[in-house]
Amino acid sequence: MNPQKQVFTKIRKIDADELNQLKKRTDAATLIIIFFIAVIITRLWFLQIHNGSKYSEKADNNRVRMLDVIAPRGNIMDAEGRTIITNRPSFNIVWVKEDSPDPDEIIKKLSLILDEDIADLLKKVRESTDNPRHIPILLKEDIDWKTLVYIENNHYDLPGVRIEVLPRRNYLFEDFGSHMIGYTGEINQEELDAWQRGNYQGGDQIGKRGFEKLYEDELRGEKGTMYMEVDAHGFEQRQLKGKEPLPGNDLQLTIDLDLQLEAENAMADKAGAVIAMDVNSGRILAFASAPPVHLEDFVGGISTKNWQALLNNIKRPLVHKTIQGQYPPGSTYKIITALVGLSKGVINANTVFYCSGSMVFGNRRYGCWKQGGHGPVNLHRALAESCDVYFYQVGIRVGVDSLAEYANRMGLGQKTGIEFEYEKSGLIPTSNWKKLAKGERWQEGETLSIAIGQGFNLVTPLQVCQMTAALANGGILYKPFLVEKIFDPEGLVVKEFAPTVEVELVGMDKFLRLIRDGLVGAVNDKHGTGGEARLKDIKVGGKTGTAQVVTMEKFKEVDEEDVAYKHRDHAWFTSFAPAENPEIAVTVLVEHGGHGGSAAAPVAKKVLEKYFAKKNELQTEDVKAGKTADL
Amino acid sequence: MFRIDRQLIKDFDWIMLAAVLLIAAMGLVNLYSATYASGSVGNLIFLRQLFFFLAGISFIIIIHLFDYRLLLKWNYPLYAVIVGLLLAALLMGDSIAGTQRWINFGFFRLQPSEPAKLMLVISLASYYYRKDTGGGFTFKDMLVPIGLTGVLFLLVLKQPDLGTALMFVGIFGSMILFVKLRWSTIGIIFGLGATIIPIGWMFFLKPYQRLRIETFLNPESDPTNSGYHILQSKIAVGSGLKFGKGYLKGTQGHLHFLPERHTDFAFSVWAEEWGFAGSLFFLAVYFFMILWGVNVCIASRDKFGVLLAFGIVSLIFWQAIINLLMVMGFLPVVGIPLPLFSYGGSSLMTTLIGIGLLMNIRMRKNQVSKLEPREYMSISDIV
Repeated sequence: MNPQKQVFTKIRKIDADELNQLKKRTDAATLIIIFFIAVIITRLWFLQIHNGSKYSEKADNNRVRMLDVIAPRGNIMDAEGRTIITNRPSFNIVWVKEDSPDPDEIIKKLSLILDEDIADLLKKVRESTDNPRHIPILLKEDIDWKTLVYIENNHYDLPGVRIEVLPRRNYLFEDFGSHMIGYTGEINQEELDAWQRGNYQGGDQIGKRGFEKLYEDELRGEKGTMYMEVDAHGFEQRQLKGKEPLPGNDLQLTIDLDLQLEAENAMADKAGAVIAMDVNSGRILAFASAPPVHLEDFVGGISTKNWQALLNNIKRPLVHKTIQGQYPPGSTYKIITALVGLSKGVINANTVFYCSGSMVFGNRRYGCWKQGGHGPVNLHRALAESCDVYFYQVGIRVGVDSLAEYANRMGLGQKTGIEFEYEKSGLIPTSNWKKLAKGERWQEGETLSIAIGQGFNLVTPLQVCQMTAALANGGILYKPFLVEKIFDPEGLVVKEFAPTVEVELVGMDKFLRLIRDGLVGAVNDKHGTGGEARLKDIKVGGKTGTAQVVTMEKFKEVDEEDVAYKHRDHAWFTSFAPAENPEIAVTVLVEHGGHGGSAAAPVAKKVLEKYFAKKNELQTEDVKAGKTADL
Repeated sequence: MFRIDRQLIKDFDWIMLAAVLLIAAMGLVNLYSATYASGSVGNLIFLRQLFFFLAGISFIIIIHLFDYRLLLKWNYPLYAVIVGLLLAALLMGDSIAGTQRWINFGFFRLQPSEPAKLMLVISLASYYYRKDTGGGFTFKDMLVPIGLTGVLFLLVLKQPDLGTALMFVGIFGSMILFVKLRWSTIGIIFGLGATIIPIGWMFFLKPYQRLRIETFLNPESDPTNSGYHILQSKIAVGSGLKFGKGYLKGTQGHLHFLPERHTDFAFSVWAEEWGFAGSLFFLAVYFFMILWGVNVCIASRDKFGVLLAFGIVSLIFWQAIINLLMVMGFLPVVGIPLPLFSYGGSSLMTTLIGIGLLMNIRMRKNQVSKLEPREYMSISDIV
């Protein structure tokens, strides 16, 4: 026997000893297992045989069912704490089949009372045949008072028919801010998966659009639980203590109810967008997209008919135009062209270009909107009277890439980052962009179009408003925001939002002041293009813009009224006030409105008027209050 | 490549396979009832479970092609994979009801804490096999097992999943009692446990987890809230009486009194519908399977096989006991499934792989004597 083998045998011997020891322990393990088997079988015997009748009785008579109680969603308020959206009780008709001795009779009666087709009711009943018979079937949502009273009074004739009360959204100002408020709807499969079913079940309401979706987490609240004692057939007997639902948190917006209403009313028969912004913080005071959508239509799912009507509407109500509408900036872009010219030293306040009504570049003639020409113009007049030739001259001297650089720094052509979904970024072209996108070299002539805001340029109204605010406050680009604070149901602040500075332009004060002067001229000078926005006591600065939808050559001789709606120009007006120390920026875009001066400026004027009237009122009140205190 | 050994075919564990098939079939029948009446969703749950069951059976077959002793070579890399999966679940996993237990693979969500249970058994068995237990383990020898358990325990506790985390402690405890320990070692470990538990209670448990345990200790304090599950389950089981209410006729389950009726409380549905007689039949088959597993320990002539088999049996056994005692109101609701019976792909697959290993150990019991002791076998030696 060789030594190695000896070692192995020895090890094997040790292993064998160990194995025997382990196996002895398996005997102990077997005993433990048998002990637990005995415990379990005894327990089973105790539950099913010894106490079986007791539990059987409990199962028959004293069943406690756990039900969810829907939490009311949080309210939405304006900047002054005035409630815009709250909840109201809605009354739904539900039916428990098992409670009705004669189901057909009940359905017939209900069809008359609810004014619903029998076939529709039966369809709803059939859809829930898989559910246990004690589960109520929802037959009609949100019935009116008359029906409610009738059913309450006749409930002995309607066994099994019950009224269920659920909180439902109440839009106090109807379609107020409909695009930003959004709506709720029944959760769908996709959303259930996205939320991992954590807090939701099928049938729950969930925010689908706008704030209702963005702040779903805050607004939702927490479901409560109700324990209901029910009898053998599942009928409810007695409510036991449960957990009250926790209402959702309240949102306080930066929006001012009065300004928003003013803006929406001014746009009543138009399509477009109105934005008012606090220039020193980025708070948005009004955020209107016209025409509004009718929110009540969306509650409980929108009908195909209504949806089709929305899709076919030429005014595109489904587009949230403040952030999703992309338009050529038109002459509002001259603010950028002027800023680039001044910064690059191509022009100063006194530089004069001669406008003969057009300018020849290459072998093409580029016209000014004023065919007779402006004559010799300096920067102030060029901005006030919106002379195209002046800005052609500046544009050609600075080039497209400088224009793009400054446009980007002023927030154009990129998302503002406002807390909203589906924001569009617009487009600010560069020579490089054209090479990549179109595979073509940049033509110098195109720079001329860009310089006056036509051509490939696309911006959203919010971007223009942000730019105007930066112009007004001396070069600080604030991120626009819409929610000021979030309160919990006890009224304590949970979250507070502060202004965020995106970009700060340094050393531009002088230039921005010159541009502001020009814009004040546009509103207040004799030949200014924005005279329609002039206020009595407050000096307003503003820039008109007319964005071409199609080249208007062929329509030149035609009256504006005769041009097809979709071919008419978009009208811009962007403004700030008071001129000396700006507080508010207002941007208006009227889709296919024609001229900025005539279509958009009056809307801005109304919003500005309202703003200063309110401020005045407040100050008068303060003065009065101060006087009383003095006395 | 694989030489078919007649002896192996002769030693194939048909009995275990039959028991497993019978239990899983009862599980599927019961699952159909538990999810019945929830429409197409219930159907989907049933089909998914069926799919995982078939996949698990094919795993069992694949496992038989390899010698279980290969695990000795792979135990640490596999352990690392499991730790990686648990970390992935924590960091980028799907969050369901505030817990991070899942990794989404698109067609299926893996709950890595399930294979982690089996992995712990394999790791501990490998470690104890390699260590000479002649004189009994000292506390120093126990540091590695404590570390192996501790890492998994903390990762799962963080998810948070208290029930599964405690399962790790249960497996660890069962296996140290199985191998030979010095009394001083046992003393130190229990001493450590006694200090760590109150600290864990204070700092690691979430309020709802504390509430569950408190409710269990004093059920009268809160009859409608946390005690609701236990009470409803007891009513369901109790009202089953001698012969049950009949298949698909259980009121507690179908009238939605019973929560989690297809997962943790699956046995309540069974007991309600099949009564004492049906429950006894189920328990008889189930515990026969477990005792047959213990028999694998006795049959095996290889120390690793004995340790591994013991660990797997204790894993299945403790889960079953905890689940059954919970369902019958003897333990708080901790979220431990009844292996092979509750709905859940990860748990079912893990259990079936474990069973596959048990069958593998039994099948190769006659090969062991041909092998040199304490050597890791290469594939060519084994097959």
